[in-house]
Amino acid sequence: MMDIGILSIIIFLPMVVALILLLTPINQNGTRNMAFIVSVIIFCLALFIYTNFQLTGTIQLREFHPWIKAYGINYSLGIDGFSLIVLMLIATLIPSAYLLLWNNNRPKNYWISMLFIQSGISGTLFSLDLILFYFFWEAMLLPVFMIIGLFGSGNRVYSTLKVTIYTIMGSLFMFVSILYLGVAFYYEFGSWSFELSDLVQITTISHGHRVLLFLGFMLAFSIKIPLFPFHTWLLETYSNSPTGGVFLLSSIMAKLGAYALVRFMIPLFPDIFVELSSVFVGLGIFGLVYFGIAAISQHNIKKMFAYSSASHLGFITAGIFSLNVHGMMGSAFLIVAHAMATGGLFLLVGVLERNLGIRSIDGMGGIAAKAPLFTVFFGIMVLCTVGIPGTNGFVAELLIVLGLFKYNAFAGILSALTVLVAASYMFWLFQKAILANSENDVSAMVDLDWKEVLGLLPLSLLIIAMGIYPDLFLYKIEPTIQHYLMEILHVGAKV
Amino acid sequence: MNALLAWIVLIPLISAVFVGVAYMYSITKHPISKLWFTLPALSAPFLSFALGVVLFREILDVNCVFTYKPYMWLSLDSFDIYMGFLGDKLSIFMVLFICFVGGLIHIYAAAYMSDDKGYGKFFFYFNLFLSSMLLLVLADGPLIMFIGWEGVGLCSYLLISFYFTDPLNVVAGNKAFIVNRVGDLGFLIGLAMLYFYVADYGFDYASIQSKISEIPLFTLQIIGVMLFVGAMGKSAQIPLFVWLPDAMAGPTPVSALIHAATMVTAGVYMVARFYFLYELIPSVGLFIAYMGAFSALFAAVIATKQSDIKKILAYSTMSQLGYMFIAVGLGAYSSALFHVFTHAFFKALLFMGAGAIIVILHHEQNIFKMGGMRRVSPVVYICMLIATLAISGVPPFSGFFSKDEILLVAFSSGEYLIWGIAVFSAILTAYYMFRLFFVVFEGKNFLHVNHFHEISWVMKAPLVVLAIGSLFAGFMGLPELFGGSHSMGTWLGEWGTRALHVSYQTEWILLGINILISLLGIALAYRKFRFYDFTCKETLSGWVYNKFYIDELYDLLFVRSLKKLSEFIAVSVDINSVDRVIMGFSHGFIKVGKLIAVVQNANVRLYALVMILGVSACSIYLIAILG
Repeated sequence: MMDIGILSIIIFLPMVVALILLLTPINQNGTRNMAFIVSVIIFCLALFIYTNFQLTGTIQLREFHPWIKAYGINYSLGIDGFSLIVLMLIATLIPSAYLLLWNNNRPKNYWISMLFIQSGISGTLFSLDLILFYFFWEAMLLPVFMIIGLFGSGNRVYSTLKVTIYTIMGSLFMFVSILYLGVAFYYEFGSWSFELSDLVQITTISHGHRVLLFLGFMLAFSIKIPLFPFHTWLLETYSNSPTGGVFLLSSIMAKLGAYALVRFMIPLFPDIFVELSSVFVGLGIFGLVYFGIAAISQHNIKKMFAYSSASHLGFITAGIFSLNVHGMMGSAFLIVAHAMATGGLFLLVGVLERNLGIRSIDGMGGIAAKAPLFTVFFGIMVLCTVGIPGTNGFVAELLIVLGLFKYNAFAGILSALTVLVAASYMFWLFQKAILANSENDVSAMVDLDWKEVLGLLPLSLLIIAMGIYPDLFLYKIEPTIQHYLMEILHVGAKV
Repeated sequence: MNALLAWIVLIPLISAVFVGVAYMYSITKHPISKLWFTLPALSAPFLSFALGVVLFREILDVNCVFTYKPYMWLSLDSFDIYMGFLGDKLSIFMVLFICFVGGLIHIYAAAYMSDDKGYGKFFFYFNLFLSSMLLLVLADGPLIMFIGWEGVGLCSYLLISFYFTDPLNVVAGNKAFIVNRVGDLGFLIGLAMLYFYVADYGFDYASIQSKISEIPLFTLQIIGVMLFVGAMGKSAQIPLFVWLPDAMAGPTPVSALIHAATMVTAGVYMVARFYFLYELIPSVGLFIAYMGAFSALFAAVIATKQSDIKKILAYSTMSQLGYMFIAVGLGAYSSALFHVFTHAFFKALLFMGAGAIIVILHHEQNIFKMGGMRRVSPVVYICMLIATLAISGVPPFSGFFSKDEILLVAFSSGEYLIWGIAVFSAILTAYYMFRLFFVVFEGKNFLHVNHFHEISWVMKAPLVVLAIGSLFAGFMGLPELFGGSHSMGTWLGEWGTRALHVSYQTEWILLGINILISLLGIALAYRKFRFYDFTCKETLSGWVYNKFYIDELYDLLFVRSLKKLSEFIAVSVDINSVDRVIMGFSHGFIKVGKLIAVVQNANVRLYALVMILGVSACSIYLIAILG
């Protein structure tokens, strides 16, 4: 591996730094500072990629090195427009998150885990070899479990166990499907390969088996996203996770589930994808409403956001399966918008917990009078989640609704309920927990300091900029989405 | 010249951002002079007004339409949406009155809010509102309009819950927002359906208009109804009106600007903007007119029994909006816009006068605790008298002309039921407005405090200007009967006055009826309230006083049942069923594992037994096969 590409640097820089920090007696704050510096470097690299990205629908920045030659497993990386936007999202979110976690006084292991997670995430994002993808997919989870198990609250060990078994269960089915595809390729072409571009050429698998393989992958993704009914790990895990863990789970890992769905399911099983689209559009819209209603009666702020996340991700999934450019672009946009808003909200909830301890929504109130800056940022994130015009959340939701209308008028009408769903609980929460005064003592609340403002300002400005001038951001993804639709799914012409 | 359109929207926005940042600085770092907020905030509406006048004069001279598309907002496939502005007669007309009335309310608010800690925040929201409202009317297509549409809803929420430390205010804000969102749900569905049919040629009004005939009639009717659902929410019509009375929790200038003069008329504007659509579906138009008529009546009935001065005005706003919808529903757009125009003057004046009285009486809002205000503040008294006469429809005040025109339209269209409802509502209007007026200004109340709060001339001056407006605005649309030429209606072009098939004789008779009914309402109020006895308590019960229990009904139907459903889903379904099934699988695995584990018990004799049994079975099998 003589030539190391920029994607490899993004993957391995945090890992290498983490290993060095692990072996040197550097203290907790030093580790934190190093982690932040690494995340900023990665942001700069991502920005470099963004500006040099070509507007074609093809895979760019390919890196290819044989890894396990005997079985055709390669170290194969590359990004398309969709990966690019997720990369930018992660690269922006992580430094912001570090700034918000800055004052949380977490030990060295915490920051080292965060660095490992970033490596795993980037690897999952770039992999084009399915075994490599599976490797990173699992690798990014382990540090998350560490963070929840070690630094969580409540019944944290049980939550960790539950989420671990849940996700490993799902991944196992995916792994079997990957192996099946590899074997099928071997039988058909006489050599081993797990490269995505090779596996798509398989023609020998019967239709019934393809459906099963598709569902095998989908199980893993559905648990990660999560789709109904594979969401029951969500509540306890979210409510017992420390801020960093829940931030990563909600705003990054869940989105990677949706991302992987597009990146692998569409090329591998285009026919099944179209065939089963109605099932997943239905599940997605059902999730949107079901989780949205369930969120209304939650009294734990993290549980409410957990349901809220699931609700939005159902909507994202419905958009992905809408088979047209509006729905898919909307989903890509909502992945970004929702990651920023939910990420910001969970980080702000972390600030609340640091100052006030863990409290129910009824135990708060009157925060706004104590912490105006906090309230402003919280408000912007709430507005983005609700999808108010002028924020990117609106553009995304509008596009998905239009896309679903094209898919099916009935699905479109149901999906339009999104304008009501989030508003019904978000505003209640904002009123009860933040704005209105109550008898509860919130004198311990301290407003954001300059580092935290610095962390949230880019997110807020991006939320607004992407809402006012969405085309500036959308045009980078469009060729990729069109490529998926026209050349793989062959549904572009219908539009 | 075209770029001025964008600046009309941008100036209040820039001012809002400036004021907002300055306010955050002042509360987090150290306080700064109020002048930092006042100057930029107050200059915005007047600058926008000046730009509006420039464009207005141009349109007057050369009869042109301005369009300006600074950038591509969204481009997907064949779906191109520009951030586009359209300055035609309708939108410039709206801009002029919004900026003018808005500017006066700004001045008033500078005095009204002067002692408030949230002074800067107030003007931040206020100018954000102004900017959104101007975007709403200047947008060149429904999607960009929708940004303004939701923007005004958001500002309305922020301003209703302005004093957010009191939970009641925030609850009122939430209610306003969510009820409006129910309307927006309909609006969005309408837009999506419209988009489905016409988007290939762009999605601005002009291209929608050029393709509108290709849409099947039934679909068009659904679209028309759905868009109107949005208007119901924004303009507080039955059944989505419940938020408006509660919205009075905001500071009084907010009620004047947003919940009386501008935002609530957005629904009327929207229907007028889509005139090319509604002209094709007269049956939906009739539905709109009936909804308007019922709203007008319903609100007027409730207003007769209320005691909170702002709530009375809120119901009167809903009632007057009903009149406007009667007109747009029957296709008389210019009549509706004429009423929007005159209503903006006298309703803003009523609210600001009420606000002045509320300030004088140290934030007392119950009219039965007022009384005798004529002597306390003669300026407010005269201004309120003019406004009350205007809304009651007494000539020559502005409301008379605009309301007369709407009633004439209803009559001449042959919709006698609508006409009857509107006439009856007009009697009620005159009655409840003069009830308010007599009780507040004439009654001799010795119970209230004699120490009055002073109000400055900064607060009174806008009242006087609006009073002059309420007096003369009606002459903008003087009917031919009086030698006028409907100058406003004629100027509005496409939205202009339709030829009415009624003789001058009928017109005179109707006019006479209108004057009579106004006087009848006033006389009724005079008899009952001229010498109101403040010592006897007004009965505070009954269906009308309790607004027909609509709030309670909605609470039961939507709020409580949704909470119950949510608890049911979160607990019974999610935790007790779905999770249990999933966890059941894993428990099942453990059980199966335990069953199998029985075999693995390190009992060597058992292993040997099983081995022997196995080997014997195999042998028997082999023997059986091989024979």
